Amino acid sequence: MQVSFTPEFATRVRKELNLGTDKIHNPHGGGNTYELERALGEDLLLTSVGWANSYYQDAKQYVDEWGIGWRSTEYNTSFGTGSYTEIVGHPLAEDSAITTYQAPNPDRPELYAEADWVLRTFKDEYFIVGVTVTTIFETAWALRGYERMLSDLALNPDLAEQILDIPYRYHLTAAKKLTQMGVDMIWTGDDVGAQNAMLISPKMWRYFFKPRMANFIAELKAINPQVKVAYHSDGNIYPIIPDLIEIGLDVLNPIQPASMDPARLKREYGDKLCFWGSVDEQHTLPFGSVADVRSEVLQRLQTIGKNGGLILGPTHHVQLDTPMDNFWTMVNGITQTSYAELEPGSS
Amino acid sequence: MEPLIQEIYTAVMEGKNTIVQEKVQASLAAGIPATSILNEGMIAAMTEVGRLFEDGEYFVPEMLISARAMQTGLVLLKPALKEVDFKSRGRVVIGTVKGDLHDIGKNLVAMMLEGAGFEIVDLGTDVTPEKFAAAIRENDPQIVAMSALLTTTMLSMESTVNFLKEAGVRDQVKIIVGGAPVTEDYARQIGADGFSRDASRAVALAKSLVVPN
Repeated sequence: MQVSFTPEFATRVRKELNLGTDKIHNPHGGGNTYELERALGEDLLLTSVGWANSYYQDAKQYVDEWGIGWRSTEYNTSFGTGSYTEIVGHPLAEDSAITTYQAPNPDRPELYAEADWVLRTFKDEYFIVGVTVTTIFETAWALRGYERMLSDLALNPDLAEQILDIPYRYHLTAAKKLTQMGVDMIWTGDDVGAQNAMLISPKMWRYFFKPRMANFIAELKAINPQVKVAYHSDGNIYPIIPDLIEIGLDVLNPIQPASMDPARLKREYGDKLCFWGSVDEQHTLPFGSVADVRSEVLQRLQTIGKNGGLILGPTHHVQLDTPMDNFWTMVNGITQTSYAELEPGSS
Repeated sequence: MEPLIQEIYTAVMEGKNTIVQEKVQASLAAGIPATSILNEGMIAAMTEVGRLFEDGEYFVPEMLISARAMQTGLVLLKPALKEVDFKSRGRVVIGTVKGDLHDIGKNLVAMMLEGAGFEIVDLGTDVTPEKFAAAIRENDPQIVAMSALLTTTMLSMESTVNFLKEAGVRDQVKIIVGGAPVTEDYARQIGADGFSRDASRAVALAKSLVVPN
């Protein structure tokens, strides 16, 4: 099981578990105490190095060390108010800024102090994941501007590649270091899928992202052949799954069920891939009944989790609009369901 | 097709802003009616873009650059269209709802609707119910379109519809909704007039909801 949370939801769970207050929870893993994850009985602990740590900072407005501008925006749910941090400033909006841009330095020893502590303290009991998500595309569009980056991919491929290489090099350095230090898995990824189809064409993904990801995976496995690599993309990415398998991917994440059918993925790729995620957060977790949640967990265990190969949990950070009953039904369903209950015919 | 118009059509399909602008200027100078340039050069091209997107050949980057190219041409055509008292297909007020800053889906819908001959009033993101109501009063649109990306912000769609009812303006317009977590069921539940799953299908939906003039 692996579950991550928005800071506000983490606060709610901590309260229920009488864990007291903590500093602002980082859904990607960097800077957390792991009290919450361990109290829930999770199997994976995340430690992140890279641009993803810029999310969910505790300020109304800030500029991160990449020069990207952020703004906090509030939202309301029936369980309280929360804030998302949104990207509002792009240092590479002007073409002229690109060749002189300096990314932050990924070799700074302090970036790895937390991973060092996590590995020393927890490696024997937990599966340690080094997180370098927003690996290429996400950071690139945050630097450039979303629509500008998408246009560049279509109209100016050479310029696009200059920009893509900036976060690619940073996150590769970080991932290699984390692998050397002994993490069990490296989590990479970029959102290249939309709700019903890919955001960019499979051809475009193969041109810009496949060679980089292939090299990324190869370099990590050269350091440690046993290290596992996971790739995250929201939405529908059916067309490129064979490509990901081809370049050595071990784990596909997060299996957004409203976009890709978990049972179908198991049928088609279950012998070649492990899966991570799959509990729906667009409908089931926020809006479903307790029975819906329980039924979905059972279904996942019986299909995409059949014979193993599944790290089960919600597809994204648990959101504040999730009823606590649904949350506990999901967690208990994952940790307490017996094999006998999974036999066909038992309810 | 008139060669200059064909060149505009192709340039829109390929997302080539500069060529679109050049050829629009040239067409106007050659005395080609602005409405012909619009209908045969631009709307026809965007219709084909929509078809290619629905067929899975064009994706967001291709749709985006075509729509942008079309827009740069449209800016040059507007004065000429005004001169002949050109009536658009309908006016659409569009925005991403309160609490939500995501706009690419909304921008694509706006561009595709413009490419189909609609007039767009884009309110941007994080749009309050009050702002939607004010925009209806100021602009007299036929359609109000709302976008949301998240389950946590989607609920603003319902509060906006209710606010528009209380403000007495809901019945003046058709309301359409879209965005990743939005479904046909949710649209029905909140009393919207329609839902579409992508920018291209939004065009067909909008066309079906306006009375042709």
